[in-house]
Amino acid sequence: MTDKNQKLANQMLMHMISDFTNNELAPVDMLIDKQGDYPEGLFELAVQTGLLGITLPQQYGGAGFDYAATAQALQIMAAGNASLAVTLEGHFKTIEQFMKYGNPELNDHYLPLATHQILAFSQTEPSGGSNPTGITTRAVKQGDNWVITGDKIMITNGGLASVYCVLAKTEDDQLAVFVVDQDMPGFSFGKREDFIGLKGTPVAEIVMDHIVVPDYHLLGQVGQGLEIGDQAHADARVLMGAVLAGIMTHELQIAVDYAKERKALTTPLYQLQVTQQKIADIAIAKQNTELLYQQAAKLKVQGQPYAEIAAMAKSYGSRSAVKVGDETLQILGGYGYSRDYPIEHLIRDARAMELAEGSIEKMNLEITKAEINK
Amino acid sequence: MTNESIWVYIQLNQDKIEPTSLQLLTKAKQIAEDKPVWAILLEPTTLTAEATIQQYGPDNILRLRDDRFAAATDEELADALEQVVTQYNPNSFLFPATTAGRSLAPRLQAKLQTGLTADCLDLAFDGDTLVQVKPTYGDNIMCDIICPDRRPQMATVRPNIFKAVRVPNSQTEVVSATFTFHPETTMTILNTTRLISQTASLSDAQTVIALGRGANQPKTIELARQLAAKMGGVVGVTRPLTDDPQFTHDQQIGQSGQTVAPDLLINLGISGAVQYTVGIQNANRIVSVNTDATAPIFADSDYGYVGDATEFLEGLLAQVK
Amino acid sequence: MKIVVCIKQVPSTNDVKIDPQTHNLVRSADGVINPFDKNAIEAALKLRDQTNGEVILLSMGPESYRESLLEGLAMGADSAYLLSSRALGGADTLATGYPLSQAIQKIGDVELVLFGRQSVDADTGQVGPIVAEYLNVPQVTFAEAIDLTEDHHLIGKRRLDAAEQEVEVELPAAVTVRSEMNQPRYATPRQIQKSFEKPLTVWTEQDLDLDPERIGLAGSPTQVTQVYAPAAAKKRVTMLTGTPEHAVQELLQSL
Repeated sequence: MTDKNQKLANQMLMHMISDFTNNELAPVDMLIDKQGDYPEGLFELAVQTGLLGITLPQQYGGAGFDYAATAQALQIMAAGNASLAVTLEGHFKTIEQFMKYGNPELNDHYLPLATHQILAFSQTEPSGGSNPTGITTRAVKQGDNWVITGDKIMITNGGLASVYCVLAKTEDDQLAVFVVDQDMPGFSFGKREDFIGLKGTPVAEIVMDHIVVPDYHLLGQVGQGLEIGDQAHADARVLMGAVLAGIMTHELQIAVDYAKERKALTTPLYQLQVTQQKIADIAIAKQNTELLYQQAAKLKVQGQPYAEIAAMAKSYGSRSAVKVGDETLQILGGYGYSRDYPIEHLIRDARAMELAEGSIEKMNLEITKAEINK
Repeated sequence: MTNESIWVYIQLNQDKIEPTSLQLLTKAKQIAEDKPVWAILLEPTTLTAEATIQQYGPDNILRLRDDRFAAATDEELADALEQVVTQYNPNSFLFPATTAGRSLAPRLQAKLQTGLTADCLDLAFDGDTLVQVKPTYGDNIMCDIICPDRRPQMATVRPNIFKAVRVPNSQTEVVSATFTFHPETTMTILNTTRLISQTASLSDAQTVIALGRGANQPKTIELARQLAAKMGGVVGVTRPLTDDPQFTHDQQIGQSGQTVAPDLLINLGISGAVQYTVGIQNANRIVSVNTDATAPIFADSDYGYVGDATEFLEGLLAQVK
Repeated sequence: MKIVVCIKQVPSTNDVKIDPQTHNLVRSADGVINPFDKNAIEAALKLRDQTNGEVILLSMGPESYRESLLEGLAMGADSAYLLSSRALGGADTLATGYPLSQAIQKIGDVELVLFGRQSVDADTGQVGPIVAEYLNVPQVTFAEAIDLTEDHHLIGKRRLDAAEQEVEVELPAAVTVRSEMNQPRYATPRQIQKSFEKPLTVWTEQDLDLDPERIGLAGSPTQVTQVYAPAAAKKRVTMLTGTPEHAVQELLQSL
């Protein structure tokens, strides 16, 4: 496809995503938060509309849009509701790892399913955060197979996804990633977390009791586990930056609409300096996050290092989205504090991303390390 | 200036005359100057609409009679009309912008190779030229359109823009037309069921309770329905409320929705964008309630109240007998 | 079975204003498929899936209309034709219906032509019946439901002014579609990419051997002489005061 056509195709994707968001997502934003799940049929409609295949290469039945276009699509979506965008973020970052590390047999088996089934990536264990050195999930080689046993928690799309990449330790204490799916004997789901935000996105535990997988279910090589985990983090953070920019787009819209509509006595709120300062802060934070994730996505598409900028997008974006959410709440006053208005759940939604895919502290550590080693 | 006639198509909805046709007779007479106004009536022998039409004062009624007109296709009607237009060469030919009129007129237009302007809001003559005022972009923009070189000048005109006025004309002459009914062999009308549609009741209603974005709460909607039932009126809505599944496009007033002409219109929580007010110009008395004292709707209203729509509705329900 | 869907590109919003100085229309450059035409595309795609047919999009307009044809292809249509040239520009409904009907004849063996009930910008709904007349086929306007029968007929349910009507037509036929008929599907991301590989042919008046007297401005009997913003009629309003109860009382006394 020519560059000009690809640009037009990207534009068409954004139109389509924004139609989908306006018609299907934005109207159920409050409902998703209140009922703590996707309304019936929404996820199925997303599948039917081919949203699971945005990044998936065309040879596997996907659309094959690049990561920059995909991230932009997630921003548009998240401005309507962040939960579905985070579900897709978890799926797309996992597809990226198959594309980079998967052997042909593994990819031919699982990637065609990715048009209608969610793929998930799981590192965290009950024993401790995302720190991979303390992994207790074991992978034992038996002839041509591996036997996987262990517990993974806090898995984005846990229960919704049918295929899971899991980080495990081999007998010689090397880290490796294996692919298991929910239909395998020994696989079961644990509890779904009762999180305070992103109420549509399921986060749950999986339990693996002596799951036997053939050798080709090894993603990459034994010993590459840590690298793949870091790669998955970096890919996730680019998209989370986009989701956060989307949440801020929503917050900005709420603040601007309210400031235009509402009057303090006879003066519209937007004419008050105190409101003007706040709206400028919100707009700047949104714009900065947008620039950061777009830069990270562009570097990734160009094959350049992007992990540090991706960490910045998520670190800055998550902190800002919570902070400007609070500013927006303040503009709305009592209404902002009401559960009849969406702003309080936007703060809770954004708050998740100060923790997921590496906490702010962990990201800032990585950013500092990168700066010192320059 | 010539004495070529102005024709008005009399649409029959089964056995009833479409009110827009009568409105068009009145309008045609107002703008005609010395041009004769003809009512064009295609009716089965079981009907006699002439007496009613005569009440609205056309100079002539051109009658095409055939029992097959009781259920004729657009092509059959257009074919018959083409025959009489070619015989009499009228100056202009006006149709109601109803679904029937908007289906038939363009088919006839193509047969006659002339111009047709859709959904006009006003008409005037400049000499022999009919100036047709047509809204576009959802009534945001008005255009003046003319058809200078071809005849007849055809237009469909939006219902309820003009008021039908009875001016009985004892001189009205009924002329029987010569034509041949050509059955369309490739199309059969299987059945026609009369509907008490919300469209018809909204545009014909004498009392309309209209709800806007500021009156979209379930309780307000319920109260509005109760009041409408009590007053024998109907509920209409603005564009944003048609997104609510309990309302349909048929209940929309204004911008490419319905034009209403009730005796009493009560606007609740409607700000009054031009796209809406275009649809209420022929309401006799307009009452508007809005929390915003600067809402433009008040400029189009006879009575205004700055306050809560729900409370106002409760007051009306309690006090209206 | 070949199904042609005639579509129009319209501005993405009707939020159009008149520039007070130049008196030109100020409108968004963003073009989208006329929303009612999406219902027609959806209807065509459903019939195609029943009959193993082919859905062909047809539009007339400038080169930029390619975008809405691509959007229709991304919804799942098989191919598209755009009638585009300077000579075709400035056409009214009559001068639009003529080239469209000639193109349908050139495409050949078309059994069903679908239209949206009207465009949301010009709001005429005239092109469907005009094309039906030129093709000399029966028309089913304002259809709410359509079904094909086994003997090559189409049953349509029309919504008229105060009635519902069921009609049966022999194919070929032309149908204009109300939005109540269906919920148009979204273009999928994959189909968006694939739409660029589908055939999109541009024809000019030469390809269709059109009568130059019947196309473009020259072939349009109507002329727009003036464009302006609607004037809002002002009334003298009596404001009601006090509590809602009091205001209602005051109102009922005046009425």
